[in-house]
Amino acid sequence: VCPAGADLISLPEKHLVLLRDGRTLIGYLRSIDQFANLVLHQTVERIHVGKKYGDIPRGIFVVRGENVVLLGEIDLEKESDTPLQQVSIEEILEEQRVEQQAKQESEKLKVQALKERGLSIPRADTLDEY
Amino acid sequence: MAESSEPPILEDYLLAEDAPLLEEMAEEDEEIDLYNEMTFGLDRDSVDEEVAKALAPPDKGPELSPVGKNEVAAVEEEKEKEEDKATEQQGQEAEEEQPVVEEMEEAGEDGKAGPGAEHDDYADMEEDVGTEEEEDEEEEEEEEEEEEEEEEVVEEEEEEEEEEEELHDEDSEEQNDLGDPAVMRAVHSKPPLESLDSAVLDSRLGSTWGEFEGDDVMAADSGAWPPSPSSILSHRMLERGYLGSPGLKRPDFRMMSPKSFPQRFMRQQSPMMPCSMGPPRPFTPPGRAPPLFTPKQSPGYVSPTPFRPMSRNISTPTQPLAMRFGPTSPSLEPSLFFSPSASCPLKFSVPSHMTQLHPQHQRILTQQQQRGQAQSVSPKKPWSPKADPYAGLMTCKEKDWVIKVQMMQLQSENPHLDDYYYQAFYHKLERKQAEEELLGGRNKQEPPKLVTPYIQKMEIYDSVVRIAGSLGQVAVSTCYSPRRAIDAVHHALQEEAAGNQRLRALHRIEKMFLQLLEVEETQRKMSLLPEEQHPRFRDKKSHEVGRIYQALKIRACDSEEEAEDEFLQILCVRKGKKLTARLLPHLTREQAEEILVTITHHLPFLMRKDTLDESLPVLYGPLSEMVGRMTFSKLIEVLQELTRPLAGSTDLPLTMTFKNQFGISLLYALLSHGERLLSSDAPLEPHSGDFEKWTDTVFLVAKELSQVPKTALVEPLVLPSNLLSLFCRYLDKQTIHRLEAKMECCPLPSEAAMPC
Repeated sequence: VCPAGADLISLPEKHLVLLRDGRTLIGYLRSIDQFANLVLHQTVERIHVGKKYGDIPRGIFVVRGENVVLLGEIDLEKESDTPLQQVSIEEILEEQRVEQQAKQESEKLKVQALKERGLSIPRADTLDEY
Repeated sequence: MAESSEPPILEDYLLAEDAPLLEEMAEEDEEIDLYNEMTFGLDRDSVDEEVAKALAPPDKGPELSPVGKNEVAAVEEEKEKEEDKATEQQGQEAEEEQPVVEEMEEAGEDGKAGPGAEHDDYADMEEDVGTEEEEDEEEEEEEEEEEEEEEEVVEEEEEEEEEEEELHDEDSEEQNDLGDPAVMRAVHSKPPLESLDSAVLDSRLGSTWGEFEGDDVMAADSGAWPPSPSSILSHRMLERGYLGSPGLKRPDFRMMSPKSFPQRFMRQQSPMMPCSMGPPRPFTPPGRAPPLFTPKQSPGYVSPTPFRPMSRNISTPTQPLAMRFGPTSPSLEPSLFFSPSASCPLKFSVPSHMTQLHPQHQRILTQQQQRGQAQSVSPKKPWSPKADPYAGLMTCKEKDWVIKVQMMQLQSENPHLDDYYYQAFYHKLERKQAEEELLGGRNKQEPPKLVTPYIQKMEIYDSVVRIAGSLGQVAVSTCYSPRRAIDAVHHALQEEAAGNQRLRALHRIEKMFLQLLEVEETQRKMSLLPEEQHPRFRDKKSHEVGRIYQALKIRACDSEEEAEDEFLQILCVRKGKKLTARLLPHLTREQAEEILVTITHHLPFLMRKDTLDESLPVLYGPLSEMVGRMTFSKLIEVLQELTRPLAGSTDLPLTMTFKNQFGISLLYALLSHGERLLSSDAPLEPHSGDFEKWTDTVFLVAKELSQVPKTALVEPLVLPSNLLSLFCRYLDKQTIHRLEAKMECCPLPSEAAMPC
């Protein structure tokens, strides 16, 4: 996990964390333990919608290990090399809302169609909590 | 009895609202350092400083039970001794006072004879500082021993006073470590159930009672705490904690009754208590018998909680083995836990656990390291390396430790299975580099062949424990491995006779698949081992493959009822096709050809059954490879299958293949191979009549192709390039043009070159 552990001393490295609920956090990883509990400093939550993304500054995060999906280093040089376009927070939140809405509607239609055929598929998010 | 009074729930301690905060803060540091010590190993230069910190009194809450209080006081007093000799005697008194206090409590209910005697002794040993106060308090306690609350108050006062003396010492040390976010509170808890309840098995406390008499840990001097991590481990590493504090002195034991021993034991443990970093379990009060061994996945470090026994990894050769459940031999040395990379310099000296990575992986990491250091500070970074105050929050040791813990979790006997993706990735990388080197002539030496990145043999954790003479399984083991206890192995016999055919086919497929997986595993292992051992594996493999082939029950091609043919039933299932496809490369040529003949013979049937699934193409790959190796005669034989009219009709299987992607691809593959054979100079050794059959076939194919409307023709998976040349041999230009258009082949280079 942090074999480049020395870098925590020399150059602080930005890390990207993907959480189980789908959030993406980017920050300086300050501490980690064997359960992958993380302490992130100067964290920014990055929301991606389509080709746009927006950063919401969040400060210090302490993440419980079980919610971490993956954690990776960010190559600071390549960080700006992205085809994605950064937009303001308001805009990205709006985009996200729109996207969510569209998804929900299509989901509703699907469920309706299945219901008409006598089938029912449990929703994925409820499945996660086994 | 004071001890038997229902102790307050642990949560109450945490809810203590007005616990003297100063004391707590001061005590925190000691706990942190203690915790760090024990987890990561000694890394400070001044052990004394550590010792001093560690000896500060632990947390106290106003709602502590009297028992807890006693323990607290005792611990603190024991630690005091270590600080300096000036207070040693005082501490000693205090310690002796404690048992006295305890005994007074006990005696309180009984009578006052005991305390009186003790009191006299105590008076003899009086010293200056604070003694008189203590004495007074003692007297008070004597009077009020019936009333618990007042006792508490008194004890609290007493402790407070002692603390005040030390407080100024601790203040200076406070500032250093307050910022450490890894602080955990020392919380008291009750003595473990085992010590109180004689019915509980293996209360190691009692068994090790005798050890203490000769315990050289007790004789440790102030500068040698802890003597060394490994010696602590090897010494009295009881399953439930350890004597971190060398404050135990012989006189105490003499004075103390065995009954109070557990409480004393608890005192030592109390500062260690928060260091529970075992698998996150709630801190439940010991109203239950704690397990006597930790589950498999507890990391290998000293876990000093009183309720959770030590990790099995710790070797304690000197321990009396009262009863050991679970595995007995450790898989790790104690020294592993404390791997002091004393300095974690910027140059990344590869610690031991890193050597278990794939060499390529290691190389990449060290490259990154070097690159990271050589690089100048990127302008985008908000921090300058010197000014980043948070950079060192995790020390090198801690990082190494976390890495080590995680590497331990990666240990496996069969890394190729358990860690398939990692291994496959680096193998691919290796191969790519090898290719590059061949082509580009790179100077870099190739990484050495990866043999065993991980520990070869893992401790087999026998979770089902059987005690001789017992009835059934022990509850302890089942609590940790309930699945094992349930033992969900399906013993029911498969009902081959009853049940429908499809189920039977599926069942057979599953069985054969398992065999096939074993074969592939053998193959993989073989490829990794040196040449000498190959024959052995090869034999084993061919034996297994033969068995699977037998199980396939391929019958001679006859026009028997196709629905009955077991092999065909397997082929009707998608998984069966996959099984055959995966098996084909391992089969001998005769066997493979047998399969091909069968498939082509029954091709219409298979194609019909496959309309929904469309999974026949999985067979194309292995079959085409096989086709490429066939002899001419065999090819002809196979083609005959396609050109023989179906029973009961004039339809040719050939025509049907045009509509099926797999069929047409197979046909093209066969034709292409024939053409290749003919145009090559290799001797064909045809049987009589082979060439005629060949030409007949070609003509037939051409005819059918030209007749079939283009729309009905399905695009094949692979369109061989030599088909047109094949047709050229035998057909006229016009036809060829038509065929060309139909098949959408790339046109031949020049028409003049065509032989026809």
